[in-house]
Amino acid sequence: MEEYIISLEDLKKLADNLIKEGTDLFLPSPDNSRFVRLKKADELKLAPEARPSDISAKQAAFPKCDPVLFYKRDKSTVELKDAEPSANQVLFGLKPCDAAAFGIMNKVFNWDYKDNFFNKRLENTLVIGLACTYSDDYCFCTSVGLSPVSETGSDIFLVRLSDAQFAARAVTDKGIQFVKKYSQLFAKGDSSKSKPALESIKGPARKFDSKKVKDWLDKNFETDFFNPVGDTCLGCGQCAFVCPTCHCFDIVDEDYSYSEGRRMKNWDACQFSLFTLHASGHNPRDNQAKRYRQRVNHKFKYYIDRFKEILCTGCGRCSRGCPVTIDIGSIVTKIGNLT
Amino acid sequence: MADIISIARGVFENKKADILIGYTKATSEGRTRPVIVRSADEVQNLVLNSSCLNNLATYLTRKENKGKKVAIVAKGCDIKSIVQLIAESQIKRENVYIIGVKCNGVKRSFEGEDSKKIAEKCLNCNVRTPHLADETVDMSDEGLTGKDEKAELIEKLDSMSAEERFAFWEEQFEKCIKCYACRQACPLCYCERCIADKSMPRWVESSPTKRGNFAWNIVRAFHLSGRCIGCNECERVCPAGIPLSLLNRKMVMVAKSEFGYESGMSADAPTLIGTYDLKDKEEFIK
Amino acid sequence: MSDSSFEPKIVAFVCNWCTYTGADLAGTSRMKYQSNVRMIRLPCTGRIDPMFIIKAFESGADGVLVSGCHPGDCHYTAGNYHARRRWILFRQLLKFVGIDESRVFFSWVSASEGKKWVDVINEVTDTVRSKGPFTNYQKLNKEFTING
Repeated sequence: MEEYIISLEDLKKLADNLIKEGTDLFLPSPDNSRFVRLKKADELKLAPEARPSDISAKQAAFPKCDPVLFYKRDKSTVELKDAEPSANQVLFGLKPCDAAAFGIMNKVFNWDYKDNFFNKRLENTLVIGLACTYSDDYCFCTSVGLSPVSETGSDIFLVRLSDAQFAARAVTDKGIQFVKKYSQLFAKGDSSKSKPALESIKGPARKFDSKKVKDWLDKNFETDFFNPVGDTCLGCGQCAFVCPTCHCFDIVDEDYSYSEGRRMKNWDACQFSLFTLHASGHNPRDNQAKRYRQRVNHKFKYYIDRFKEILCTGCGRCSRGCPVTIDIGSIVTKIGNLT
Repeated sequence: MADIISIARGVFENKKADILIGYTKATSEGRTRPVIVRSADEVQNLVLNSSCLNNLATYLTRKENKGKKVAIVAKGCDIKSIVQLIAESQIKRENVYIIGVKCNGVKRSFEGEDSKKIAEKCLNCNVRTPHLADETVDMSDEGLTGKDEKAELIEKLDSMSAEERFAFWEEQFEKCIKCYACRQACPLCYCERCIADKSMPRWVESSPTKRGNFAWNIVRAFHLSGRCIGCNECERVCPAGIPLSLLNRKMVMVAKSEFGYESGMSADAPTLIGTYDLKDKEEFIK
Repeated sequence: MSDSSFEPKIVAFVCNWCTYTGADLAGTSRMKYQSNVRMIRLPCTGRIDPMFIIKAFESGADGVLVSGCHPGDCHYTAGNYHARRRWILFRQLLKFVGIDESRVFFSWVSASEGKKWVDVINEVTDTVRSKGPFTNYQKLNKEFTING
């Protein structure tokens, strides 16, 4: 694999060029709460030691609210206009647990129906990943087939060598083309530079066997295991909304006025009590324990059954941000120990 | 004085309650999480310290806890919400067994710099000694200190022009992702069906668009006006980091200045919104 | 302030027993007033939820009027007193989030005050006209950010 060296200064120059070309750059906000648009190139900061941003980067391909179409009507006609997915964008400094999520979501968005909105956005997105030196009690990327240094999902992968210098690997064709385009900023390097940096990264302490988790889930649908979680889960959608892989959405029509409006695709979450409420009033998941069972099963069983992937990258966001600190890592670790 | 574990054991042994809502250790050091305990055998993992941030009163109005006799570990601010729930006829006094916490303030957040500061709500707390409790327990004093940054921000906002304030809130509300953690964590948001979830007709737009976010956040703040007891759970749980307490605190200040009312202090006094006074101001009405 | 062709849209939420009847009286008495107002009749001012005002602004209103029975005259005894208390709070909230609270008007108009209704509407319309369109809120309507 091609490896290059790029200084922070040159990364800023790169960002400056991209901004001038009209590309949208996104990176974690200064308070690390979410991904925001980079307005000035000298504000570019890459922090491999920071915790994953509170809200993931999935908005790049799957925004919280996404127009599907716009409509206008008068007495006799209805006029429809398709929404156009956004312009080119570059995501800077994605943790491997964020970068890998796009590939995982890609499977469900291209399973029977091809979701053009997701695909167009992903096509227009270049992901610059960053080897992660952070880990805490809530991280478990190594238990779901990833690692703090995995390049999955990144087009270009950065490794910090020093405060001012990064090793850059062009991982995909898109990444190679990109490096070619800005070749004056990338100096030739080799893997000897990044190797010691990568080897020094230990990764999270939490470990569980996801196969054992699935084995137990395969056999235990009717269970009271989730009751204690149901006791305290508040039923907000925080976990799903900060998750890089949760992809449920709802479609609503909204009016601007009597004659004009839009159809929107908005995030939805299986932890909401209304998520499965039927028009009849019946709710098959009528308590929070059942809803939480759905969350764990979807992530560690159903998605594997259907797409051979775990619907989780082990970023720990849902647990870190949970109002009542429900820790999915410790829950699945417990499940893994049950078999 | 007895510790929380022996008190909890006593609750079950003397059949004072069917379930007990308390705190237990969470995965990482320095965190706690709520837990529901159902017998004396389960009480050994209960904890009580300045990391007990959650307001457990939010569980009192849940469907599955209705009709049960519930013991609850509650700090002064949490007791205010229990009082408010009683005043609003949502729970009955005889159905809650309040284990009041003599509290010296809790951390501002579980992790990071804020974990070394005292929560803002604790700075002007007037209920460090519980004002309604069946028995009390001490919480250790960890000597947390901090500044009330939000009070300064409220003052600053008040001195801004309307345009500037609008711009401030536009930027804040834009961050909202409509996860409704603020609503779910709030002990006083107990409607069985929230107005935001009603779709026939749709009052509050479900999209996290600018329009939908403004509508939601204004409606939320208004529905808590004169009711909010200032536990700041909404702000603490907001994953988008919106300073929701500004709105609530402002309305608490308005309730105080316009009506001399403070919510959560008396279960017998009429609530602010549930009553009226013939002498209420009307200088703004033509 | 704005260009002279601007005609404000004003939504009036009125109670059935006093203000609506008062407006009716203005009509049957053939009094003339500006036609910018769209009236919505409700049983009582106590039924007027502040959300209605937000909804009116979302739908493009430049000003909102809430009007009902004078204190002591409420058909349901106390609806207007409850409403009054609510409005005291709501105005302060609007102010705090930067929504121009002077675009929201309140009045007591009884069934016999056709003339007062005419005066109120003319005054409200003129005030809002001079303030110009409520672009602050209306621009929220179509804007959304996909990212960031």
